[in-house]
Amino acid sequence: MTTASDRLELSRLVHRFGFGPKPGEYVNLLRAGIPQARATILARRYDHGLDALVTPAFPDMGQAPSDPTASHAYWQAVYEQSISVAMWWMDRMVLADYPFLERMTWFWHGHWATSISKVSYALPMKTQNETLRTHALGNFTDMSRAMVQDGALIFWLDGEENVSWSPNENLGREFMELFTLGVGNYSQNDVHQAALGFTGYQVNQTSGAVTFVAKSHDTKPQSVLGKQENFNARTLSDYIVSRPENATFIARRLWFRFVSTSIAPPASLAKVFENRDIAELITTIAKNPMMRRPGVSQAKSPVEWFVSSCRALRITPSKLPSPGDVAWMLGSMGQFPFNPPSVGGWPNDEAWLTAASTQYRIDMTYYLLQHGNLDPLTKVAKSKVVEAAADWLGIPQWSTRTERALNQALTDPNRFATLALCSPEYLVSA
Amino acid sequence: MTVHTCDFNRRQFLKYTGAAGVATIAANLTMDDVAQAASVAPMPVGTPILVIVTLYGGNDGLNTVVPYLDPAYLSNRPGMSLDESKVIPLSDGLALNGTMTGFASLWEANKLAIVLGVSYPQPNLSHFTSMAIWQTGSPVEEISSGWIGRYLDSLPHDPFRAIGIDSTLTPLLAGDHRVGSMLPISGLQVPTGSLASQMQLMANSSRQDTALVADAADSIGDLFQLSATVSPVLQKAPPSSASPLAQQLDVVGNLITANVPTRVYSVSLSGFDTHADELGPQGTLVGQVSDAITAFLAQVGATPRANDVVVMVYSEFGRRVMANGGEGTDHGTSAPVFVAGNMVAGGFYGEQPSLTQLVDGDLAVSVDFRDIYAAMLSDVLKTDPGSVLNKWPTKLNLITGAS
Repeated sequence: MTTASDRLELSRLVHRFGFGPKPGEYVNLLRAGIPQARATILARRYDHGLDALVTPAFPDMGQAPSDPTASHAYWQAVYEQSISVAMWWMDRMVLADYPFLERMTWFWHGHWATSISKVSYALPMKTQNETLRTHALGNFTDMSRAMVQDGALIFWLDGEENVSWSPNENLGREFMELFTLGVGNYSQNDVHQAALGFTGYQVNQTSGAVTFVAKSHDTKPQSVLGKQENFNARTLSDYIVSRPENATFIARRLWFRFVSTSIAPPASLAKVFENRDIAELITTIAKNPMMRRPGVSQAKSPVEWFVSSCRALRITPSKLPSPGDVAWMLGSMGQFPFNPPSVGGWPNDEAWLTAASTQYRIDMTYYLLQHGNLDPLTKVAKSKVVEAAADWLGIPQWSTRTERALNQALTDPNRFATLALCSPEYLVSA
Repeated sequence: MTVHTCDFNRRQFLKYTGAAGVATIAANLTMDDVAQAASVAPMPVGTPILVIVTLYGGNDGLNTVVPYLDPAYLSNRPGMSLDESKVIPLSDGLALNGTMTGFASLWEANKLAIVLGVSYPQPNLSHFTSMAIWQTGSPVEEISSGWIGRYLDSLPHDPFRAIGIDSTLTPLLAGDHRVGSMLPISGLQVPTGSLASQMQLMANSSRQDTALVADAADSIGDLFQLSATVSPVLQKAPPSSASPLAQQLDVVGNLITANVPTRVYSVSLSGFDTHADELGPQGTLVGQVSDAITAFLAQVGATPRANDVVVMVYSEFGRRVMANGGEGTDHGTSAPVFVAGNMVAGGFYGEQPSLTQLVDGDLAVSVDFRDIYAAMLSDVLKTDPGSVLNKWPTKLNLITGAS
């Protein structure tokens, strides 16, 4: 017997730990019952959905040519790659039968927020994306160690400029503030000393390859958070991640993005992360009783809304006729993969619920409906279509006002789908 | 080292996809019926308006208001200092960056206040923390609402009261209960016919709504209400050759001229995080700020609202006194804040911090930014600053006739 709480909990699981249901998926998972459904959603197994994935080549572009014609073609190719690497990733999110791994990779992209606006080239961004996917459900110590040696991240945070005789504090500061410890858990002197520990890593901007240049590395001992040692990127990352504040900080970050920013996580959550096991932490969060109770709503970001709409409409993003338009529309809504506004990542919740984003969302829905499949609505008796639409999109329950609006659009599947995909219930995971 | 960047932000997308991209979207929509518009009561002339300009990235105060005669300025910044030939002298050994000719004319006309050495106690050197402190107006307690958002909280819901020119919400305008409206530079377009009426049905509130679901419903209603009023005003697109800030201020100027009932506008410019090769790009940016604001004030200056508008310009922090190895500067502390407009009492406020007597290696703080916010709240928005700024007791008298 399915209850309203089951529908709510399953809706949160499919939208927050995945990217919304493919047609039919929500009903099938409901039938299986919550424990089985949760296990399926969090499962890690070979994903046949990705068999159809086409991975474009992202060659090392090398230095820009000086000849004006060749230069124009070069930058055009750089631009097109920056679109296609994002399309490739959104294809993964849409095609996956088990999108949990992509969802976690997406979370970590917002956490280690690196932007192609400065990195410029798709290849280093794709390499970083693969690194995040490798460690997305692994051990945070390994992830952090890999990230401080990641070409795109180092370049993004001026590691290029960070040499022993003229340290640049950008990476050292953001590493502690945004990636591992949080504000208030280090001093300005720790930032300065950490910057010295991170000196000496040079990046080839077009390939993302990282070289350690011993003569640029500070050879004196640094004093970071009470420990004296001549650190390098790996040992410094290991030491900072081993601090107890790291467990509290990362546990909070995941709780806020998967459950709610308005309710503090249980005090015991940091303890679960004692071994820095990401899978254990996120599984514990998914099983928390709050997932079943009212009051922990989360708004979908533009990419999350776009990807879940594509899953519902059976659209493969890269096969849309004009990827440049998709990029423009998502950019207008304020979010495009690999292009966060700052190292702090994207905003959340209320920030996406503006009049302007409503307008762009309606525009984009029109565009998607020209290419989408509406069988889940058109192959159902008119008297059942409102209810069927809730199951199609994984919505626990329509509000009375949305039901009224949908009932006025029964004769026009496109208009009906526009309303459903732009409804408050679909924009917010209640 | 020259870094080639491919900054594909919204503008870049427009440039690359060209008009075709826009037309694909626009073709699916019909423009809002202009006859429906102007349903909102116009704001009486004489109501003061605050325009907040945020410079993201940490603008280098010392290369904006330049202590060009100070030997310590020249010696700390080899290769990236501005000498007498590259500045516009004001007084007291201070000068504007030579690109800021517009601000120099406002200064001459006594319409530009320059508040020196502005920050807050124990300045934070992180972009995000420091910007959050400026935008929440709360240096000590970590809170999530913006200071303009709390001003909105004290008044009934009105999607027009505060408008940000962008598509995503700036934290500045987010209160605990109310949020300002965001208006993209291209304006708002809404559907018509049955879709419009059914969309607006979904904007109604429902007993079943959580707070966020209610916000989502409101955002649909706000779109229709805002669009009806602003669409006719925004028929004239801003010139695409202008700087992003000039384009945003052009929109604000059109809205003000059309008597839209908005008390606060928020606009912004990015790119001030000049860790390397700073001199040219930073000069260009502050030149854009000066040009855009001067042109905007001239635009509203030719209307009956000439005396209503006050512009405030700030950034999350200034930069270090000493240049780094890359002819740039790292994150610092205090920097000047500009306040401009016909009702502003021009001149210097606060004190220029010493370049040699530093505090923890950085410039000292001479004015707390809350003294400026309190002036804006009290003397422009005519509201009690204490209720927005956690009982902050003092203010600067930046506005003519204020006491």
